[in-house]
Amino acid sequence: MRRKNPFIYYGGKALAFVISVFLLSAAAFYVSRLAPGDPLVSYYGERAEKMTAAERAQAEARLGLDQPTGVQYIRWLENALRGDFGISYKYKTDVVKVISARLPNTLLLGGIGFVLIFTGALALGALCAWCEGRLADRLICRVGTVISCIPEFWLSLVLILVFAVQLRWLPSSGAYTTGGGGFGDRAVHLILPLAVTAAGHLWYYAYMIRNKLLEEVRSDYVLLAKAKGLKRRTVLFRHCLRNVMPSYLSLMAVSVPHVLGGTYIVETVFSYPGIGTLSFESARYQDYNLLMVLCILSGAVVILCNILAQVISERIDPRAGEGEVPEHG
Amino acid sequence: MNDILLDVQDLTHCFRLGRRTVLRAVDKVSFQLHRGEIFGLVGESGSGKSTIAKCVMSLLRPTAGKIRYLGVNICDPGQFRAHKKLLQTSRQMIFQDSASSLNPRMTVADIISEPMAIHRIRPPRGTHRDEAAFQLRCVGMDAAYLDKRPGELSGGQRQRVAIARALCMGPDLLAADEPVASLDVSIQAQIINLFKHLQAEHGFTFLFIAHDLAVVRYLCDRAGVMFQGRLVETAPTAELFRNPLHPYTKALLSAIPIPDPRRERARVLEPFDPDRFDREGVLAEAAPGHWVLKKEAP
Amino acid sequence: MKPLLEVKNLSVSFDTPLGEVQAVRDVSFTLFPGEVLAIVGESGCGKSVLCKSIMKLLPRSAFIKSGTILAGGADITRCTQREMERLRGRLFSMVFQDPMTALNPTMTVGAQIAEAVRVHQPKASRAEVRRRVLELLEMVGVTEAETRFSRYPHEFSGGMRQRCVMAIALASRPQLLFADEPTTALDVTIQAQILDLLREIQAKLHTAAVLVTHDLGVVARAADRVAVMYAGRIVETGTAEEIFYEPRHPYTWGLLRALPAWAKDGEPLYAIPGMPPPLINPPKGDAFACRNEYALAIDYQEPPPMFHLSETHYAATWLLDPRAPEIKPPVGGWPYE
Repeated sequence: MRRKNPFIYYGGKALAFVISVFLLSAAAFYVSRLAPGDPLVSYYGERAEKMTAAERAQAEARLGLDQPTGVQYIRWLENALRGDFGISYKYKTDVVKVISARLPNTLLLGGIGFVLIFTGALALGALCAWCEGRLADRLICRVGTVISCIPEFWLSLVLILVFAVQLRWLPSSGAYTTGGGGFGDRAVHLILPLAVTAAGHLWYYAYMIRNKLLEEVRSDYVLLAKAKGLKRRTVLFRHCLRNVMPSYLSLMAVSVPHVLGGTYIVETVFSYPGIGTLSFESARYQDYNLLMVLCILSGAVVILCNILAQVISERIDPRAGEGEVPEHG
Repeated sequence: MNDILLDVQDLTHCFRLGRRTVLRAVDKVSFQLHRGEIFGLVGESGSGKSTIAKCVMSLLRPTAGKIRYLGVNICDPGQFRAHKKLLQTSRQMIFQDSASSLNPRMTVADIISEPMAIHRIRPPRGTHRDEAAFQLRCVGMDAAYLDKRPGELSGGQRQRVAIARALCMGPDLLAADEPVASLDVSIQAQIINLFKHLQAEHGFTFLFIAHDLAVVRYLCDRAGVMFQGRLVETAPTAELFRNPLHPYTKALLSAIPIPDPRRERARVLEPFDPDRFDREGVLAEAAPGHWVLKKEAP
Repeated sequence: MKPLLEVKNLSVSFDTPLGEVQAVRDVSFTLFPGEVLAIVGESGCGKSVLCKSIMKLLPRSAFIKSGTILAGGADITRCTQREMERLRGRLFSMVFQDPMTALNPTMTVGAQIAEAVRVHQPKASRAEVRRRVLELLEMVGVTEAETRFSRYPHEFSGGMRQRCVMAIALASRPQLLFADEPTTALDVTIQAQILDLLREIQAKLHTAAVLVTHDLGVVARAADRVAVMYAGRIVETGTAEEIFYEPRHPYTWGLLRALPAWAKDGEPLYAIPGMPPPLINPPKGDAFACRNEYALAIDYQEPPPMFHLSETHYAATWLLDPRAPEIKPPVGGWPYE
């Protein structure tokens, strides 16, 4: 097998990543300036509304907002490349500090949620494929479809009503109790947001796994594997699941942004102090510097995941990305 | 030379497989089709015979070489445009798998009359539907099938519909890519008889692509043998079967199964090593009308 | 000699939304160790279903309606899938039509054969398994087995792939091999090689084989005995010589006469008129009657019984009844001398 130099291969991917992120930053910068609203309000609060025209101009000049957008962007880029992303207008501190305070919360929610979806979908899909057409499969299919149709915010509200308001088993919002913050406390706060995140996405991927598996089960090589005396379990797991994995992995990589987007909504509903709520606030208050970094951060994750998906599908499957003529004879 | 309908000169077609790998599916192939003859093209899967048919039908653009149809160079976009209607109506093609080459959502009547509708040809027998019914009768099916869809027909019937669709334009050149390969023996015989009968009646030139040599021997006037993209031998069918010259042709002919147990078990395979196949050379005339691939004299 | 496989009055049907499709109807045959039986017929005649129903590889919509299957002396008609898992590979194995799709594209050929070896010898060490795989590859004529061991199926040509499929099928030394159109997807020049290999291995290991095919050339080369199937039934069975030189059923005549190899110059090919009947509500009487130019009135009313012609030769046609008119077979033997 002849393969391209891995140096060139991954170098090319890295270059594509850098260019994509650069274009993204430019677009985000420009688009954020188009949104209506007054950035001074978020910086000076109430005071901004009482300012005279001269004071306003001075304040704008201090924040560099009087320049044309292009010049602003170049200045921002220069600083950013030096590692200085500016200060948040609202929090009056370094953007990086603001984000790094919130990031672990989101990583915890998104990370556990993603692992939950990934393994849960695999297990559920395989289970359905295993007992295809039988009661368990039919039941899971029905229930899964219904649950995945419920909007996340609505499901969140219902769960809060039931478990937090009525039963008082679980907290309704936040990531930890003020003053507390132990492991158990955090875990309890994660249960509802996680349940919503997983419920929204799980079935979609489980159903895909199920159908892909059934497609594989119908193919000839499964017949041969059975004919050579392999057990049904071995055929399903060693042959079929293995063949489904490359496409599943690349799909899951592409799905990261979806799950991410889902957690943003969930965070907002549960007032969970993560990147999602922060993004929402920064967009609302024209907190440009914060918004830029959040945009680039989320965008970079999306682009990275897409490139990852591409690499997975090109590298794992021995058939893909190759054009070799079979030998003759 | 007025009786040459199709003149293929040094046709080459390459498929790009990867960034660096190129497959020469067809490599410097030259042959001519005379008016009213049935020319069989045989070879293994992957020998390039289907690619030739697609190039001849302008479904693929050749990488190099010339294809002249009625004196028009069809590889030249300008000439193609100038004779577009002639080229599109007088050349027709039939595919192996009529289950996938006929649109499953269309009725038989629509399938047959679509080419006429596209080229705004007035059906000679009244309405499009009447014409479709007539063409269907010509291929041995009655008008009751007009409103059926391909899914409701058997393989043989679908192939008949494909033939009717091709013949309603009154083509001068009909190319058929393995038209009987997926049919059962008894149905295959029906379709071959139909081809023979229709060709005698309409007089079209027929490029017949097959891997079954017994069928080619029965149906074709002349035959060409393809191997790894090269045309290695071409001759009148009887001559080719009596006196094969190229080692590959010999191997191929010796591989034809004989439906007779004693003979079949005694049949000896002619050895042929594909690694020793010499791609270079040109076709040289060994006997009148019998051309074989030979290395050029230095 | 004790028969290896005995199928008695087997009927297999499919449940479909349109009704019950009777794919196999009242089929009986026996197979002795070391023998090759060819089952010939057109697509949809039930030949493939017959094999898969014996191995229980059919989808869940299929069911055995009646009849018994005795394999290796045991009745396996009502075996569950779990019991069949123990028999597959050891008692019987299968080779499929399309070697392109019969191999798992994401596993190396060596690993796939090794899997089959492990079914038979679960305790074998890595080195032992590898040795056995190489031995198998060599047996089926794959040269450079060492390097090809770690190659993927898409790097092989069709003929080589079919050889690998045979290595898998033979890995656990089955007593019976089903070969479902093993040469149909291959090039003419490779076909005979694969058939010869099949015969050679079969003679060496004393394996019995059921060869399912529509190609009478394949039958002539590889089969000891032949069963001709039409619309789910066996209509004629006999040794290869009996079927080719003294066929007695009009359908067998039709199949033989329709071959282009037997066409005479200038004469149209013989074609069996019409099409096979649908298997949902198959016609009363002989299913072939409406395509049969020699059909008798009784053919439309009552299915013919199997008439006994010789120790090995049977045919189901009313033409063999003593009351039927004498008809000279239109074919038999190679017409060219």
